[in-house]
Amino acid sequence: QALPSRSGPSSILVSPRQKGNPILNSVRTVAWEYSDIPADYVVGATTCALFLSLKYHRLHPEYIFNRIRDLKGQYKLRILLTMVDIENHEDSLRDLSKTSLINNVTIMLAWSAQEAGRYLELFKTFEHAAPTSIKAQQSEHYSDRLVDFITVPRSINKTDALGLVSNFGSVRTAINATPEEIGLIAGWGEKKVQRWCNAVREPFRVKK
Amino acid sequence: MSNDARTAVKLSLPLEFQQDIFKELREDNELVILARGLGILRIVTNLLHSYDAAGNNLILLVGASERENVWIGEALAEHAAVSQAAKARGLSLVNTDLMTVGTREKMYTQGGIFSITSRILIIDLLSGLVQPEKITGVVVLHAEKVTATSLEAFILRIYRQKNKEGFLKAFSDSPEPFTTGFAPLANMMKNLFLQKAALYPRYHVAVANSLEGRKRAEVIELEVPMTDAMRDIQNAVLECVEASISELRRSNSGIEMEDWTLDSALHRNFDTIIRRQLDPVWHRTTFKTRQVVRDLTLLRTILHALLTYDAVDFNRYLDTVLAASQPPPGSTKQNQSPWLFLDAADTIFTVAKRRVYKGKFANQDLAKNTNAMPEGLEPVLEEQPKWAQLAEILQEIEQDAYLNPTPQDSSNGAILVMCGDQNTCRQIREYLQIMYIKPADEQDDDDEENEPSAKFLMRRKLRSYLTWKRDFTNFSAALFSENQKAINTSTENKVGSGKSGRPPPNKRRRMRGGGAAPGTTRTDIGAVRTAGDRDAHIASLMAELQPSELETMQKGEIGVDPLDNMEDYYELFNMNDLIVVHPYDGDLDEHVLEETKPRYVIMYEPDAAFIRRIEVYRSSHTDRTVKVFFMYYGGSVEEQRYLSGVRREKDAFSRLIKERGNMAMTINPHANVDPQEDFLRKINTRIAGGGRLAATAQPPRVVVDVREFRSSLPSLLHGKSMVVVPCMLTVGDYVLTPHICIERKSVRDLIGSFANGRLFNQVEAMMEHYKSPMLLIEFDAGKSFTLEPFTDLSAGSAAAPDLQSKLVMLALAFPRLRIIWSSSPYQTAEIFLALKNQAEEPDPMRAVQLGLDPGMAGDEARTFGQVTQEMLRTLPGLNEKVVTTLTLEVENMTELANMEEKDLCKLIGTDAGRRVYRFFNRSVYEDFTVPTL
Repeated sequence: QALPSRSGPSSILVSPRQKGNPILNSVRTVAWEYSDIPADYVVGATTCALFLSLKYHRLHPEYIFNRIRDLKGQYKLRILLTMVDIENHEDSLRDLSKTSLINNVTIMLAWSAQEAGRYLELFKTFEHAAPTSIKAQQSEHYSDRLVDFITVPRSINKTDALGLVSNFGSVRTAINATPEEIGLIAGWGEKKVQRWCNAVREPFRVKK
Repeated sequence: MSNDARTAVKLSLPLEFQQDIFKELREDNELVILARGLGILRIVTNLLHSYDAAGNNLILLVGASERENVWIGEALAEHAAVSQAAKARGLSLVNTDLMTVGTREKMYTQGGIFSITSRILIIDLLSGLVQPEKITGVVVLHAEKVTATSLEAFILRIYRQKNKEGFLKAFSDSPEPFTTGFAPLANMMKNLFLQKAALYPRYHVAVANSLEGRKRAEVIELEVPMTDAMRDIQNAVLECVEASISELRRSNSGIEMEDWTLDSALHRNFDTIIRRQLDPVWHRTTFKTRQVVRDLTLLRTILHALLTYDAVDFNRYLDTVLAASQPPPGSTKQNQSPWLFLDAADTIFTVAKRRVYKGKFANQDLAKNTNAMPEGLEPVLEEQPKWAQLAEILQEIEQDAYLNPTPQDSSNGAILVMCGDQNTCRQIREYLQIMYIKPADEQDDDDEENEPSAKFLMRRKLRSYLTWKRDFTNFSAALFSENQKAINTSTENKVGSGKSGRPPPNKRRRMRGGGAAPGTTRTDIGAVRTAGDRDAHIASLMAELQPSELETMQKGEIGVDPLDNMEDYYELFNMNDLIVVHPYDGDLDEHVLEETKPRYVIMYEPDAAFIRRIEVYRSSHTDRTVKVFFMYYGGSVEEQRYLSGVRREKDAFSRLIKERGNMAMTINPHANVDPQEDFLRKINTRIAGGGRLAATAQPPRVVVDVREFRSSLPSLLHGKSMVVVPCMLTVGDYVLTPHICIERKSVRDLIGSFANGRLFNQVEAMMEHYKSPMLLIEFDAGKSFTLEPFTDLSAGSAAAPDLQSKLVMLALAFPRLRIIWSSSPYQTAEIFLALKNQAEEPDPMRAVQLGLDPGMAGDEARTFGQVTQEMLRTLPGLNEKVVTTLTLEVENMTELANMEEKDLCKLIGTDAGRRVYRFFNRSVYEDFTVPTL
């Protein structure tokens, strides 16, 4: 990939044509500097962003295509940072969805200058971060686990979960309990009892 | 259509208005809205039977609940027997995914009446298992739920597109949903593809004549005052509700809030109303607002519990509420519910406690002697005022029955007590059973022998409460505060004392009087269920709560003679001296009335529908007299709720009648079946040279995962004249072209599946198999089109990543992933059309095969229960692979929970096996000496 020269490792590169864009005011936690680049912003070694206001897009629909073309296939991840600043956004967004598919750009929507600026910051900050916080992870506390497990069936809440285990002592006994026994716990109405009992007795899969 | 009406069919519709409705329905397709309690199911079953008797039908019943299915099934069988219709087949149920496709197909070709879950029916219709042309007719129950984007409307559309001849009848007995929005009735009729609506409120002339013409049921209204303590609590709860509402008002300006008053807070579904109003801005509301909305639900439950639970149970419930709202350990955030900080909240908790006991007791006392009252504790044990009233009524009835021994009618002498739910039922039964038993120490110096009281019951409850309380404090201490870990109560001690289930010898005196009957049964049950030490402890705990009623509990009715112990042999109870306690259960109450034929009915809680049921019952049987006692707490939420319920139903009907009066006529209800669209699709002028004509000669096709039929999108895609192919997909939700695969997430789903990491795996799978994987972020039509604002800009992203930063991470992790933003399902359908334009059609077979484990490929019946899958995922130490293994190897959750540690380890590996085993078997009463997971 063609890396733009003299890219400071910690700053966002901004094209001079973005001068005056209010979203720059909201880029505060990360440094930025002007640079001569084909994209509007370069927020990582292989990541760039184009800024598009829907208001402008409606007047000049061809603008964004030219800009994408000028990127000439550089950058691995090309963000189309789109500002939703009009009410009737449906048609424009539908066209952009199609564009994003054909031209390999990823659309991110922002509803305010702060939000757009924040996106730029985030892309820069997470440039080298591993996606651990969106991978599967569970709470380490047994109590949370417990509550999570019991509240999976609909309409059973935390209070019910505590009532259940506190009455039966352990999850196993709670699962083995008969509907009549569970029905005696305060707060457990018939519907909840039935949902719980169905959930723990329902077969995991179809037997052939 | 009426050629089959010639067969002799015996109907069971005694009342004139019921016959009117039936006749109308036989002649015409229409929507019937009947007031609650006027026996809508009876009309439905008669109608179904009239078609059933003719034979050779394929009739679909849509929207029936589980209970109603049973009712209708029984009634149809009964009808068939009565009118000796040889061709009648009765009702067949299709309500689980577990029924294989082959069986279903065979059933449909045989014909008959089918009650099918909508989600299954729509798939069967789309996949051609049921051919719409072959359907004789469709009957829709709960028509109020058929909204434009609902599955039911989708079903009806497919049916009407292909089949214009078959009949279509819709029923509803709740008029209120028909009155919200603009021209609601007209819209509803459009969704139902019907043109005629029949409205039967209680004040309809025919209804009124039928019910009031002959002898009316005698109703005695009894206003029971609440105790001071109850009133205090009720006021305090209402104060909390009010505070919560003003909190909501303060933090959510700019929303229509006229209805947010204390008065409407008493409505049955006030919290859902507020939630619906907040929905447009739901993802922009603060954490606090959501919490307050949740609190409102909780407060309403407390209000209900106050009137239905006895003092001890109520206090116990409050204990659980309090524990559940404790902040989790280690959290520094002050996120307790606002209402807990009010003085009124304090009033709720202290008064509730004062209703049970005075004074304090230390935990150590409890640990030592299980069943005795601790010394520093003085029981108060306030009784529910309705109990005394109930006893009084029963005495009066007894006198009445004694004075006029055998009136000239065919009803039994039975007394029917109706109450709100199973729990109240149980409570009343228990009370009636032992209301004449006295605690020993008072029996000695008591003169007034026959005064019924619940003292004995309450003392027993208190004892079990104290035992529970002891465990519970340990439990919540262990779970919710790290620093209390130090309190070390030895487990063996507890278990040992719990197992005995009998008071220590020195405390015996307290138990002497009534100990004979329930005391022994208690230990009996405890002994039977001694399996492991922990189980025994639990068993004795449970057994103490439920004396000797186990066998009758399931039956739903039980004969009680307070002065006679029940014997161990079976015989039919004599219907003449029976007290039947039963909860309100919608239309099923009719059965109860018919079967018990009571002379006296005591309504323990008010219920407008049941009053009408009695009216119907009374007018259907001229030879039976019914005396009704109607009980409610004066000035209580219960009373107001009842009154406002009646008023709202009446208003709803008036509005419906008005709207029907000036409703526009729909001339062509099948307008949306437009042949022109097919034509345009075939000659698509945008194809240069016509080279790819083959691709567009067939209608556009979308492969949709069957689980997606819960959302409205498949229906809308079908509305855009795309062919929806339901399949069981492992990768993605929608496949548009051979290359485009889409995972749909609503904003709420998005947050959830980011949190549990599911989305990452899903996207990963799509990346592997498709060239253009896409994530569709779909906003709700009624809700605003923005993500929630950043939690706090200054706080930085490190503390708790918000939605935006997670999206950024996702985009960085998968540069090839495209994101589609859609403001509503309608918009999504448009975008899908645009994406599919000029593209090839997807291959359903390939879509299904992708992502399947090679070892399991070809296993066609891979239907997994959604809920159980999700529950498995919350277990510690499980990844997708282990979940799959468990799903295939273990029967169900119960089996998994009871597996031995070594078997588990063998199945899923030592580490995961051990963790899962410990999750299920760890006792929450113990201290957490084991290192955390």
